[in-house]
Amino acid sequence: MNLDSARQAFIEEVAELLQTMEDALLTLEQNPADPESLNDVFRAMHTIKGTGGVFGYTPVVDFTHTVETLMDQVRSGQMTLTKPLIETLFECRDHTSALIDFIAADATGDAPLSPDLQRAGDALLARLGHEPPPTPTAVPVLNFDAPTYLPEANDLWMISLEFKADAFRHGMDPLSFLRYLSSLGDLVHVVTLLPIASIDSEHFDPESCYLSFGIAFRSDADKRTIAGVFEFADEDCEIRILEPDSAHNRYIDLLEATPHDQINCMGDLLVSIGAITPFELARALKIQEETGQLLDGSEPAAKRRLGEILVEQGSIKSGVVEQAVKTQETARGKRQEDNRIIRVDAQRLGHLIDLVGELVTSSAAIRVMVKRAGIDNMNEVVDGVDYLVSEIRDNALQLRMVAIGESLSRFRRVVRDASQELGKLIDLVITGGETELDKTVVEKIIDPLTHLIRNAVDHGIEEPMVRQKAGKLTTGTIHLNAYHDSGHIVIEIEDDGAGLDAARIRAKAEAKGLIKPEEVLTREETLRLIFAPGLSTKEQATSLSGRGVGMDVVRRNIEALRGTVELDSTLGVGTKITIILPLTLAIIEGFLVGAGRDQYVIPLSQVAECVEMNATATLKQHGEHYINLRGEVLPFIRLTDLFHNADWHRATNQRESLVVVRFGHHKMGLVVDTLLGELQTVIKPLGKLFERLRGVAGATILGTGDIALILDVAELAAIGQTPHQVTVKH
Amino acid sequence: MGQLVVSKQAARSGRDLSNEVTQYLTFSVADERLAMSITAVKEIIETPQVTRVPMTPDYIRGVINLRGNVVPVVDLGARLGRGALTLTKRSCIVLVEVQVGEDDRHVLGMLVDEVKNILDIPPEDVKPPPEFGSEIRTDFIEAMGRVEDIFVIILSVDHVLSVQELAALRHFTGDHVADVEH
Repeated sequence: MNLDSARQAFIEEVAELLQTMEDALLTLEQNPADPESLNDVFRAMHTIKGTGGVFGYTPVVDFTHTVETLMDQVRSGQMTLTKPLIETLFECRDHTSALIDFIAADATGDAPLSPDLQRAGDALLARLGHEPPPTPTAVPVLNFDAPTYLPEANDLWMISLEFKADAFRHGMDPLSFLRYLSSLGDLVHVVTLLPIASIDSEHFDPESCYLSFGIAFRSDADKRTIAGVFEFADEDCEIRILEPDSAHNRYIDLLEATPHDQINCMGDLLVSIGAITPFELARALKIQEETGQLLDGSEPAAKRRLGEILVEQGSIKSGVVEQAVKTQETARGKRQEDNRIIRVDAQRLGHLIDLVGELVTSSAAIRVMVKRAGIDNMNEVVDGVDYLVSEIRDNALQLRMVAIGESLSRFRRVVRDASQELGKLIDLVITGGETELDKTVVEKIIDPLTHLIRNAVDHGIEEPMVRQKAGKLTTGTIHLNAYHDSGHIVIEIEDDGAGLDAARIRAKAEAKGLIKPEEVLTREETLRLIFAPGLSTKEQATSLSGRGVGMDVVRRNIEALRGTVELDSTLGVGTKITIILPLTLAIIEGFLVGAGRDQYVIPLSQVAECVEMNATATLKQHGEHYINLRGEVLPFIRLTDLFHNADWHRATNQRESLVVVRFGHHKMGLVVDTLLGELQTVIKPLGKLFERLRGVAGATILGTGDIALILDVAELAAIGQTPHQVTVKH
Repeated sequence: MGQLVVSKQAARSGRDLSNEVTQYLTFSVADERLAMSITAVKEIIETPQVTRVPMTPDYIRGVINLRGNVVPVVDLGARLGRGALTLTKRSCIVLVEVQVGEDDRHVLGMLVDEVKNILDIPPEDVKPPPEFGSEIRTDFIEAMGRVEDIFVIILSVDHVLSVQELAALRHFTGDHVADVEH
């Protein structure tokens, strides 16, 4: 661990902590008394102060210290959180982030703060009701001539630090640990040990560290907190922390009170009551393992007890171990196996899913072979394999499913900041956060969603005054909702804002030459014009959105995921955008059809029904195709016409079939020559060459080794209706 | 079969000493003998079942299943303006790797009438292309190679199979749909 990697670790850790703090603050905005969130904010500031102190980043320590103190008061009920205070805390979070950025950019780590940052920090502290801190905390005077023993007392922590020779070279400053420790309590006594006798002047290396410290320390902090001071020194220092006798008694009480169902192994138990730190446990476990290996070959019972090692290492007193053993034994037998979560590398999971995809293809090939060879008595086995493969596929895909809620909650900050910048009052309501979908889809949908939500804030919700005049609540609402619907996930973004002005969109589109003045468009088609490149109805561009790039990019991103986006808006009432996405990008249930020479796959989730095509029910007017389906007018497309691959087939006057497909709220028919049944479809991308090809979502390899194209129903509908500009929707 | 030809030829001429690219694969398209640098060629296969992709220009022959991967095939006859090729027993697909963008490489198939052989053409026999007088688009021609007093056109694979160009053409139905309708 050199200084750079330590700093990097620090910066990353701070980023995580600040994210936690932000989430907590957002919760506090809704519920200012939520104890968990209060703790989170406190802990974030506290930890940043601690690690910052180790590195000697005084500005960070001073700043976070003030915030921490304030949070402590809030936590203990001496202060209440008000809206302005939360607001200030948000800014404190951002300021801390700015401080860290400053440190990250500064290679030496001790350049003075830029005046701007300093001023911003002071201003924030003033708003928190604090004077800017005068000078850094004074370092306790160390007395080198003091006796080499420590005073014994009941309420004192005994801490021994033995720095390793490389500590300086790794950027450790022993003094900074002491300085930080002193912020947790009283350094009653510090003995500095320098093993003069063992160093001869010839071998003395000025860059090596020979120091060790014995510290008597009085503090109310628990062991974990104190150990946290030395967290960064783990690798460069032997740390032993022995709790005072008073704490010792407390541990025994805690052990007695520990509910039996929470008792795990000895180590965890001791960590959970705070008697030892996880690091001490790890060290002891290592020793246990090493000695176990030495005794290898002998009986396993010869392995040393963990408790013994801990006592020997000076991590704990034997009384506590005895009590822990007792507690553990009474609990044993009652304990139930916990539900465990295993973290798995996403790449491994991806590889597994690829393999399952190949398995699906292979098992389809087996089915074809068996059928071809006419081995009837193998059918049952093949069916069994098929069933298992589809189960494996479903389970494998399930592994990559994550709840969307975590990703959606980040938008609370987006909405909050954006609305404040624009002086609007907006509530973001999120429902359906537990809805699951493929992690790879989640990652790709965040950007388009961010854009749509910013749009809703910027263009959708009006200013409070305007809303009042319109007779609406001054606070606007953006509702983000997610749910599953027939193999797809639906994400809705609904606002109760100004809505879209179809007339203005049309005017704008005409002005930009996107449509001709004489073209007839339905309301829905007109609204959809906002997805065309280069159309933005807001006259003024703001920093949030409105530079005219965006909606078309949003649409393209969603379509790249084989999804669709729909739009509904009423002027003055609001706008609702519905995004429909496939749950996964890898494998789908498909429905195989034949048209002309070729075979195509329609996603089964979009197939509503199949009916026989009755020639007499077909009306033909100017090339339009409609069918009367139980009294409903259903537009249809003949695949062979659309794809111009009608061959010898048509002459035989073979009976055609109509596959009724639905996409979004629409229905349409696809006329095909043959229905070939369901199959599990592994989606293979068609690649760059076909990037701009519409109507085809990908390809799949059939059991026969042939390729079938996967149809994109919504795009086919768009292609089918274009030449005539006639609505086939609804 | 085709693969065999390549490896034999490559082995025979493997003693080539100069480090310049002097080996060329020759093949015929619509009765014309053409050549291309061997370095881009990955393999040569007999024509398998080619699945047509609808709504694409005629020089996109379709896609094939190459060991579980879907690979597009370009009809070189149609691409060079000689009309779509008719499949025969000798028809082959030359699989080449082309550059797409910065560091992305893409495997494409190239349908030809017949693969001839691999030729060593010394650098002094490789001449710049004529500025006019060829029926093939000039940017498709990398150079002219002299083989026994006959000039053979050496194709510039990166231009003939430029993915950007192949994919950008307006023939793709639906492109204008996007512009007009939405």
